[in-house]
Amino acid sequence: MEASSEEKEEKAEFEEAEIEYVSYGGEHHLPLIMSLVDQELSEPYSIFTYRYFVYLWPQLSFLAFHNGKCVGTVVCKMGEHRNTFRGYIAMLVVIKPYRGRGIATELVTRSIKMMMESGCEEVTLEAEVTNKGALALYGRLGFIRAKRLFHYYLNGVDAFRLKLLFPRQELHPSLPMSTNVYAVHENNDLDTT
Amino acid sequence: MADRAVSEEASMAGHATKLASIPASDNTVWADASPLLEAACRGLRDGELIHGDNFNLFAAMSALEIMDPKMDSGIVCRYYSIEEAIENGAAPIPISLESTIDVQCTIDIMDHLLACEAAWHKGHSLAQTVFSCIYLLRLDRTASHALLHSYCRVIRTTCKAVVSVVSDARTHEEEDLFTMTYGLPLNGDGDEKCLSMLNAVEETISRQLRACKATSSKRRVSEDLEPLQSNTNLEEGLCKALLCRLRFRKHFFHVLTCMKRPQGRGLELARKHIASCILELESILKSAEFLRFCSDEFCEDDIEDKTTASGREPIGFDATLNSRLSAPTPPRAIKILSWKKAVEYFVKLLHDLDVMCSYSLDPHLESLLRFVVQFQKSQPDLVARAHLQLLLVQDGKLYGRDPIFAVITKAAALPEATKNHDIQKNEYIVQLGQLVVNLLKILCTNVAWQRRKLGKILQDWRVIYVQLELAFRNEFGEVSSSSNAENICMKIFQHILIWVEEQTYWIACRFLILGFELDLYSASEYCMVYWYLYAVLIKLAEKTHLKTAFSYDTAKRKGKKKRDSPKDLARESRIPPAVLFLQCYICLAEGLTMMLAALRNEIMVLQSPSPFNTEQEKFVQHFELLQRACIPDHVSYPSFKESTTQARFSTLVMYNYFKDAQRIAKEVKSSFSNDPDRLAELRRLEQVAEHNSVALNLICRVGALDPSLKVSFEFSHHPFFATAIVRRS
Repeated sequence: MEASSEEKEEKAEFEEAEIEYVSYGGEHHLPLIMSLVDQELSEPYSIFTYRYFVYLWPQLSFLAFHNGKCVGTVVCKMGEHRNTFRGYIAMLVVIKPYRGRGIATELVTRSIKMMMESGCEEVTLEAEVTNKGALALYGRLGFIRAKRLFHYYLNGVDAFRLKLLFPRQELHPSLPMSTNVYAVHENNDLDTT
Repeated sequence: MADRAVSEEASMAGHATKLASIPASDNTVWADASPLLEAACRGLRDGELIHGDNFNLFAAMSALEIMDPKMDSGIVCRYYSIEEAIENGAAPIPISLESTIDVQCTIDIMDHLLACEAAWHKGHSLAQTVFSCIYLLRLDRTASHALLHSYCRVIRTTCKAVVSVVSDARTHEEEDLFTMTYGLPLNGDGDEKCLSMLNAVEETISRQLRACKATSSKRRVSEDLEPLQSNTNLEEGLCKALLCRLRFRKHFFHVLTCMKRPQGRGLELARKHIASCILELESILKSAEFLRFCSDEFCEDDIEDKTTASGREPIGFDATLNSRLSAPTPPRAIKILSWKKAVEYFVKLLHDLDVMCSYSLDPHLESLLRFVVQFQKSQPDLVARAHLQLLLVQDGKLYGRDPIFAVITKAAALPEATKNHDIQKNEYIVQLGQLVVNLLKILCTNVAWQRRKLGKILQDWRVIYVQLELAFRNEFGEVSSSSNAENICMKIFQHILIWVEEQTYWIACRFLILGFELDLYSASEYCMVYWYLYAVLIKLAEKTHLKTAFSYDTAKRKGKKKRDSPKDLARESRIPPAVLFLQCYICLAEGLTMMLAALRNEIMVLQSPSPFNTEQEKFVQHFELLQRACIPDHVSYPSFKESTTQARFSTLVMYNYFKDAQRIAKEVKSSFSNDPDRLAELRRLEQVAEHNSVALNLICRVGALDPSLKVSFEFSHHPFFATAIVRRS
């Protein structure tokens, strides 16, 4: 489930450099993640759901802090799925006053980078077809809309299955290492909105 | 160990009262486990988890938090059981001792049931919708209330019939929630007589209506008939409100019964009942004003969201009573459709069913495919689509009437007599028949699921082609035989092989096109999609043309005519209209590919640089299923790049594909003068061609590099061919 980033009142004032990104560090982060996700999403996740992700794949979850306050989080997993080693983005939340400034993009990017370095061949997630913000965010990162899932959500809304396929080395002998592909673009402004 | 602990706790004082409140039965004794759980909690530190053989972190995700209303389906919301609800007066019989209120409340129940039924059709469980009605859950109780009883019986019988249709048409998981009826009382003795019961009630109310009208015009009627209810001012309105509701149910039930008759025998009669249903629904809508007016609790609140015409809450419904029955999912509060939306839903359903019933049951597969594609454009819901599938495929035959091999030979443009040929026993021909049946079923599913399935079956169609071709070669080798029988066999194989290829490319086209309708492509991907579509369309046109040429050839060889008339020769050399139609598509696809490529090459728009992958990965992902099935051969990302890197506006304006499309569309219109759907499509294609041609010229005139130029692509004239919109800022 994704939190959408529409235009909102009460925007927080900050410089992008003030945001601190931290990898999941332990049980003390869990209540922060839970409260962010619980407040934004209608699905009732039990604590076991969170534990499943952060215990097995702590290196894939990240938190964003501003002045000591947790303002965003991403929770992911990865594993073998039908002969592909695949990453999965389970939850992504940024609180409303902090949206539209690239925090979600940064959180996701860090996680995807970690997945790539861990040997994932692709990354996937589901998003509501109406969630323009999420679709734009992931579209910019190279995800395509692979499938449409009819009435995926209980409110009858369809979902897109989004997929990012990493380049396979043998197809790109002339390209630099995949991690450097990211480095090449680091200087560009990824968030054009 | 647990037993010992429990018995220890049970002996503690203070628990006696708690235990007494939960009735013990033959096999259960309740004991309070709170102290045990508290001790266990104290024994665990934060972050620790109990391990078990079958209880790991993944399994733990399915854990329920007891007493969390979102997860615990056993939670008692109000009543512990249906019986308790009834004992507490949740579903009184009669609803009121005051006859007027009783009638008004009955109408509310009917309306709410309609809203529940529509919510069920739209994808919620039967348990939380229609069977949230306590009267339905204990139907026998209502026996003394003829109106409610007969109405509920018809509802139950109708639901059962609809569940049966959707079950029979079962293709995939969409139907799972719909057909779940576990624990619900869907079967009743005497339900087959429900219509006669309803008719009896209808008859009585009709007489009551006549009587009240007679009284109002001061004519005495010697009938020993009690009025419907006691308020003479409301008698006429309430009778009418009831009658249209009863009649709607009657006709709707007849629609279902007629459509179920095999080989489409009941379709004409079904249409009559559909027309009646729609009339009654109109009357039902009109009754709303009266019902709101005579309601004591007239409220200013927005009537739009209400589930009844009167705006009142209906008596006798509780969705939580079934929560344990509607497992395995925990209960989520679902929103029942508003009454207005429910009526709209049924109107649409009836229109969709009417379209089906009006269909001519054309034995030509090509026409049928076009019909189904057109039908899907109105976005029919599950119940409509299930009916369509059952109409098309029954007993492994088309319309339950035409054997699949006959359908194939007709589609492959073979002579009529071929349908009896022994070749149908060939194992690959049999498999091909199964693929055709499967294809028809798939085309009746929701388009999101359909597209994925169409992509998957491409492999199967490719494989059957290869197998047939191999079988063909094994039979006939390279040298053409002199035997007549073998010649016929060879002809059949050749025709079928071409047709299989044609059908495969048709599926591939559908797969690509549906991607637009499902909004699966972002603008930066349009270029590669149109390019791939162009490649597939070329092959489709080639196979269609070959098939037509072959059929003329075969007809000639059959030799009814000794000499070719000039007309025949002219017909042979002309391109068949179906192929011209495809060529129009081809021009548009090519035009759009090149225009998008030129935009990218010259202005660098619609590029989507990503930090993690390149355009090649997107190409591979979008076309994976097609590539795997080699549809078409020799198509790859490098060949896409090769075809498009040189695209420039200066050359495009000289080879204007859009002008070609316009010309062909104009030319081919006369061949489809009897086909309104295709004429409409040609007009849309002309629009797209015209607007894109103008856009192209504008871009060239202004100069592609002019920074004030903004080009976007929208589907304003056609569902999958985009129109370029050029704006000057």
